[in-house]
Amino acid sequence: MLKKRLIFTLLYSSGLFMLSRNFRLQAVGNLDWLQRNYDFSRISNYIDELVVLDVTREKRNLDEFCEVLKSITLDNFVPITAGGGVKDVDSARKLLRSGADKIMINSAIFNNSNLAKVLSEEFGQQCVVGSIDLKRSRSGEFQVWSEDGGKLNDVPARELLKRVLKESVGEIYLNSMDRDGTGQGLDLEILELLPERVSKPIILAGGAGNSSHLMVGLEDSRVDAVATANLFNFIGEGLKEARQELVSGGIVLPMWDLEFRTMHEKSRPHSLGSHE
Amino acid sequence: MKKIKATVIDYGMGNIWSVTSALKYLGCEVDVSSDALMIEKAQILILPGVGSFRKAMNALISMNLEAPILNAVQNRKAKFLGICLGMQLMGTKSTEDGETKGLGLIPSSVEKFSSAEVADRKVPHIGYNQVHFDSDENLFKGISGNQDFYFVHSYRMLPPDWKAGVSTCNYGVEFLAAYENENIFATQFHPEKSQTNGLKLLDNFLKA
Amino acid sequence: MNNLFWCNNCLAMSTRPRITFDSRGFCNACVWSETKREIDWKSRDQELQELLLKHRSREADFDCMVPVSGGKDGSYVAYTLKEKFGLKILCLTVTPPLPLPLGEKNLRSFVESGFNHISVNPDYEVMRVLNKTGFEEMGFPYYGWLLAIQSIPAIVANKFSIGLVVYGEDGEVEYGGTDETSRSPIFDSNYQKRIYLENGYDKVISASKLTESQLALFSFPDFGKHTKASIDLTHWSYFENWDPYRNYLVAKEHCGLQEADLANSGTFTNFSQNDQALYALHTYLMYLKYGFGRANQDASIEIRRGAMNRDQAKNLVSLYDGHYPEEFLNIYLDYYQMKKREFDLVLDRFANKDLFEKLNGKWMPKFEIV
Repeated sequence: MLKKRLIFTLLYSSGLFMLSRNFRLQAVGNLDWLQRNYDFSRISNYIDELVVLDVTREKRNLDEFCEVLKSITLDNFVPITAGGGVKDVDSARKLLRSGADKIMINSAIFNNSNLAKVLSEEFGQQCVVGSIDLKRSRSGEFQVWSEDGGKLNDVPARELLKRVLKESVGEIYLNSMDRDGTGQGLDLEILELLPERVSKPIILAGGAGNSSHLMVGLEDSRVDAVATANLFNFIGEGLKEARQELVSGGIVLPMWDLEFRTMHEKSRPHSLGSHE
Repeated sequence: MKKIKATVIDYGMGNIWSVTSALKYLGCEVDVSSDALMIEKAQILILPGVGSFRKAMNALISMNLEAPILNAVQNRKAKFLGICLGMQLMGTKSTEDGETKGLGLIPSSVEKFSSAEVADRKVPHIGYNQVHFDSDENLFKGISGNQDFYFVHSYRMLPPDWKAGVSTCNYGVEFLAAYENENIFATQFHPEKSQTNGLKLLDNFLKA
Repeated sequence: MNNLFWCNNCLAMSTRPRITFDSRGFCNACVWSETKREIDWKSRDQELQELLLKHRSREADFDCMVPVSGGKDGSYVAYTLKEKFGLKILCLTVTPPLPLPLGEKNLRSFVESGFNHISVNPDYEVMRVLNKTGFEEMGFPYYGWLLAIQSIPAIVANKFSIGLVVYGEDGEVEYGGTDETSRSPIFDSNYQKRIYLENGYDKVISASKLTESQLALFSFPDFGKHTKASIDLTHWSYFENWDPYRNYLVAKEHCGLQEADLANSGTFTNFSQNDQALYALHTYLMYLKYGFGRANQDASIEIRRGAMNRDQAKNLVSLYDGHYPEEFLNIYLDYYQMKKREFDLVLDRFANKDLFEKLNGKWMPKFEIV
């Protein structure tokens, strides 16, 4: 039986990892901080996938990002999706050679570019994740924004979603800008925008602060995976505890035999976590 | 103790980094190569792959790697593992984008999941799913309990006629999840993305 | 230390002055957050209207005064009173002793978003002496400013014939302490002196050796004697469900509030208390005296609003709480005209030795959050 997925999203900007609240970024710490407090090589046992996004608002440096990606993915044996300003096949290829398994694109979908098509022809459709940021207008209607939440798309959200579902993307990542970083819970009403029959896996993100929020998302039949980017709320043992709570709550997630890793790492000559 | 050495074939398509990381983690010495001679001489070969079957075969052919691979596997009996697209390339042919001939190391063809097969299920098949294997298979030695591995594909191979060495996964249809036959091994799922199960499997492969 | 315990819902500690716990071991702030969901806010609305009516009848240009800092809470109250209730409000800020650039920017943005505003700057040296005295006598590094925000709004309101001053929240009720004001909207200078100034007003004033005329803005005149009516002090948190995160969202949306780029000193949030450097010292002293600092308070707020659970909060607090504000140290030493050794000796005096021990020059907790 295909299991649902718990995804952690890391937001990267110019050497630092960020916490986003309604798309406003707060710097939390650098790679060193991440190693110390998130120790992904251990924590990755408690998540099913990792998304690493370059949300740098100034000029992005792809090479630098790729180096960071390599460091993060070292000793991490989970699927990794990378994204943030991907505009062409070469950037995508660089990311895939730096540890990424899938590429996430957002603004490119709405720019009338055929990037999704080109990427899926080159790397396969399952390699492309389409990400959509949604915010409610004053009247409460959902609207789609791109360019890091800076550009409003006039086409009604429902219509846009239908179009994206037809595009050459393998999965859809739906993100609530209103709930982003607030810890107020995922916005399940976003799912009402989807058509009756959805042919691609749906990942819901934005607002999850604790395991109950994640649970509510995973229990919904329209949701295939949930994602959280909340670096603070899941710090330390947070992800491990959240996963245990989800499993005891009845969500079917794979549980891994950590003894293999512990035993293997004990017998290794060099120290764990070194990334030259 | 002498380190096990493996050669990962780099033909421009595939998550080389992840596979290499996993092998290194297991203490293996890894060469990443697109050199025909090196590949022909290798004892252990790994063919990763992500993307289009046709593009991949074209790449292998244009880089003159098809013959060296077949030679190493069929004549020198090098140990060979194909992963994901790599496994599919070992098939007879694929119907993606018209018909393309494969390496022919696994007697099965590659076709897209049909809507009849998957019914309500979504394509691509993405996520952790259970693999049904025989406990005496080399690849799955010591793996019990949780049998989840990470799949991400829209195309699948069906199990060839004989059942030995064949492991399957159900996604509306029982498709070929892993294959082993003497020195030839393959997995549709990504062991380097399947947490501890995947690591164990890779370890089993290296030691088989 | 015997009988040290934590709230079973949030992370508030038994050491917090005046805090009480119910039979489940929930602190009064958590109980209050539950109560708030059941409260009949409509009847409180009625009380609010009566209060406003009482003060509207006077010949004044303004209906009430709102003390603000440019931060999320005062901005929220001001915005709500002006836009939702259509009141004519006069905002007032007592300039903090060591203002931070972001704080000044936020105050500017607030005023520019459309408010009548007065900035009061008490004699810098007088305030400095009061602050230093408060630091040395009571471990309250900005005692003078704390005093000023209690005294000055009423003094100025009186000059403008304004009879009502609307503060934000009563921290005692919202974060733990006495719950007197949860049942009654009006408080007075006695409450201010007893609670906010921790009964130290007389002590600090006399130790400061300042003259009566120097202390003109730091006193609590009896208004009833000199004017026709008295000044009523109230908390907005009595009339509406107080929600710091909501305040942040509204201030961000309507008053131009900007967050810091990084987490603030001693916590994981970046949207609160951005106006002055001494706040970090104040909360560090709070940590040394009682065992909880800024991160603990912020995490407890997060728990109460359902954003994280207690275990998640524990993880965060163990990482962020109790941060010695070394990034501001030189500014503090310069301000107080003290050397580091002298400064640290003051901190040492206030560290609760039952809770902390000094290891390698640092105060380390002897306890672990349970």
